[in-house]
Amino acid sequence: MPEPVLKLERITKRFGGLTVLSSVDLQVDANQIVGLIGPNGAGKSTLFNVVTALYRPEEGIVFLDGKRITGAPPHRICRLGVARTFQLVRTYLTMTARENVMVAAVYGGGAMADAGRACDEALELVGLAASRDLITEHMTLSARRLLEMARALASRPRVILLDEPMAGLNASEIEEMIQVIRRARDERGLSVLWVEHKVDAIMRVCDRVVVLDHGVKISDGTPAETIVNPKVIEAYLGEPSS
Amino acid sequence: MTREKRIIGLSAIIVAALALLPFVPGAADSYLFFLLYLFFLYTIIGQAWNLVAGYTGQISLGQHAFFGLGAYTAALVWSRGLFGAEHVYYFDPLTLIASGLVAAAFALVIGFPLLSKLRGDYFALGTLGFGEIVRVAFVKGGSYTGGPFGIVLPSSLYESLRPHYWLGLGLAAGLTLLIFWIRRSSLGLALVAIRDDEMAASSNGVNVLKYKLVAFALGAFFTGMAGCLQAYYLFHVSPEGFLNLNWTLYPILIAVIGGSGTVLGPVIGALAVTVVFSYANIFFPELHPIFSGLAIILVMLFMPNGIMRLRFRGRA
Ligand SMILES: Nc1ncnc2c1ncn2[C@@H]1O[C@H](COP(=O)(O)OP(=O)(O)OP(=O)(O)O)[C@@H](O)[C@H]1O
Ligand SMILES: [Mg+2]
Repeated sequence: MPEPVLKLERITKRFGGLTVLSSVDLQVDANQIVGLIGPNGAGKSTLFNVVTALYRPEEGIVFLDGKRITGAPPHRICRLGVARTFQLVRTYLTMTARENVMVAAVYGGGAMADAGRACDEALELVGLAASRDLITEHMTLSARRLLEMARALASRPRVILLDEPMAGLNASEIEEMIQVIRRARDERGLSVLWVEHKVDAIMRVCDRVVVLDHGVKISDGTPAETIVNPKVIEAYLGEPSS
Repeated sequence: MTREKRIIGLSAIIVAALALLPFVPGAADSYLFFLLYLFFLYTIIGQAWNLVAGYTGQISLGQHAFFGLGAYTAALVWSRGLFGAEHVYYFDPLTLIASGLVAAAFALVIGFPLLSKLRGDYFALGTLGFGEIVRVAFVKGGSYTGGPFGIVLPSSLYESLRPHYWLGLGLAAGLTLLIFWIRRSSLGLALVAIRDDEMAASSNGVNVLKYKLVAFALGAFFTGMAGCLQAYYLFHVSPEGFLNLNWTLYPILIAVIGGSGTVLGPVIGALAVTVVFSYANIFFPELHPIFSGLAIILVMLFMPNGIMRLRFRGRA
């Protein structure tokens, strides 16, 4: 069996007395899009923060291509090949779109000599090539979400973690984002771990879906398996579909 | 782009004209000449703070410590003949560089724990505490630092203000040019990324602590050299004159008035502050601090983003 690109082993994260992640195992194989869903507060963003070293887990290990990366600082994690976007968009507001992406192209771990090209290709892939000289402060939410995506791609990662890339987008923008995620996988051969509340989009696009509830993994399988899993139905019962 | 080229061309002409001014007979003895020297000194310390706070987003309130450390380095090296008895210390490049390096070394030593542990206001308070420690250390330094009185240097060497003027102009123009270059370089990308969003920067591969330290040390280096320059002018390095909190407040006012986070903002700010301070000194010598403070409050009220950013108004 080939090595999974990203593998989490028994990740436990506590804040004071509150256990937010309990012994979560998860893996993302090469070239796969894996969805990560779960009710509000399930621990999805916390899981991303543990993988990208913004939080230190109490227990557990994260492997990238079989190599342990837990303990490395956030910038090293990026350079090793894990890029991410944020649930609440985080762009460099005073910079132009292209400068935003250049930060990741220059510092994200790819060859410095190719930084300019990587930057322009990433802008091209997300469809922002024409907006490259816009100051980010003046860009719409959906453009900023795409910009974050371009920034993640420009660091030339092995895997990208997307934290609700569709939050706040309208129907046509959601379709556009789906195309971008697919293109990232197909053209770049990337692996994707994707947190989303738009469950229908997840079910349409993902190869596998993992469900978290109160920090516990309650389901892991194909979209078809996931929607009939009684535990998943129970976790979502009474949840407003968003 | 052409607009930018015009500004660069105009700046070059102004710097060249300023560099030639001391050759005009009598110019070096005028009050204006002294004001220009002050303007250069203010530009250096304003730009240094601009690099740390304006571009990197780290509010330092300990700049007076670096100014004082630079001045004391020059005074100690000189008064003790540390580079040898035959060495010429007055306007000596080695002494000048040593002043900058000592300040930068302190910035690294103090910046490492402060910048890795503290953020925002807490970093600012940490640097303020550091400044206070340095001041007290020099006051209590006994015969080594001259205590509260400080160290007196051989003022008989003074011939004219020209060397101070030229050195000040060179450092001010050099630092401004350096910041212009940094803004376009990959170093500038890292600094502005840290200022705009530290968490995103680290997730994009920027070693946040490293680049904060680079900016902090670079700012301290130039502030230390400014301290050395001022020591060459006063020939008396004391806690009162050099480790005074004014040397932290002035750069902030200069950068904020002119527009922090812009290349030319601190130059404009330094000019404004020089003019305001000197007028206040002439017309209301007793009220100078009040007058200056008032001018600053007015500027902040009506130009919150600084003079340089005025022209962007209405665009956003
Ligand atoms: N820094 C923190 N300190 C304390 N508690 C935290 C912290 N970060 C997250 N939590 C808690 O951890 C739990 C999981 O939060 P998390 O943001 O990971 O959920 P999520 O699955 O991403 O939810 P959502 O779908 O709303 O984004 C919540 O109860 C939250 O309050
Ligand atoms: Mg979340």
